[in-house]
Amino acid sequence: MFDRIETLRMANSLTAHAAERQKLIARNVANADTPGFRARDLASFTKTYHTQGAVEMRASRPRHLTGASWGGSPRVIDDKGEPAPNGNSVSLEDEMIRSAEARREFDLALAVTKSSLNLIRTSLGRRG
Amino acid sequence: MSETLSAIELAASGMRAQAVRLRHISENIANADTPGYRRKVVAFEEQVDFGRRTGAVTAGPTRFDRRELPQIYDPAHPMADENGYYAGSNVDLIIEIADSKEAGRSYEANLRVFEQSRQMSGALLDLIRR
Repeated sequence: MFDRIETLRMANSLTAHAAERQKLIARNVANADTPGFRARDLASFTKTYHTQGAVEMRASRPRHLTGASWGGSPRVIDDKGEPAPNGNSVSLEDEMIRSAEARREFDLALAVTKSSLNLIRTSLGRRG
Repeated sequence: MSETLSAIELAASGMRAQAVRLRHISENIANADTPGYRRKVVAFEEQVDFGRRTGAVTAGPTRFDRRELPQIYDPAHPMADENGYYAGSNVDLIIEIADSKEAGRSYEANLRVFEQSRQMSGALLDLIRR
């Protein structure tokens, strides 16, 4: 029901993006000493999120794919780090920065969701 | 939600692998003076589950360091040969200590990621609490 509200939908996508990114970061950090491992990252949310524009395809059935939202197709990119002699390109410092960013993204999305829900509650006549 | 949970699992796999590495390091240090002891080394590899990479890390099979054992001159030693030499261990304490520091750092990094993923999934649950 709430998918129709653009703000909530965007917050939902941002949450998914941040969670996916956190997973990739966990993977990079876990493999920080694995020989030959290449660090991976997600393309930024602004680049991959498709807003619901005027050119959106019309869906007559709910299962039709319109490509409107940031679906489960995140673009995983190779983080171009300098590889160590054993072929591993994970930099723990970079991963820490990235995880702070992912955390920020996640908190932002949750805050937006929370206040949107409060707005809905208030409009329904209940105390937010 | 499942993403943060699998992030927690990945971080845990990293900690497990680093703990195995630390255990081998402590075995090596404990046996630094054992005659004929070969240093154990462990390499990490990506976990493969039914042919698919899960992203988790595991400690690979334990291997022995093939460096030559040093010949130590001590005619009084019970294991000394007729020339008075016996084979020592090829453990280098400096390498072991550097290795243990690295393992500790990586463990800490994994712990940080673990903690943060846990907090994130907790915050998500807080949303439906009220």
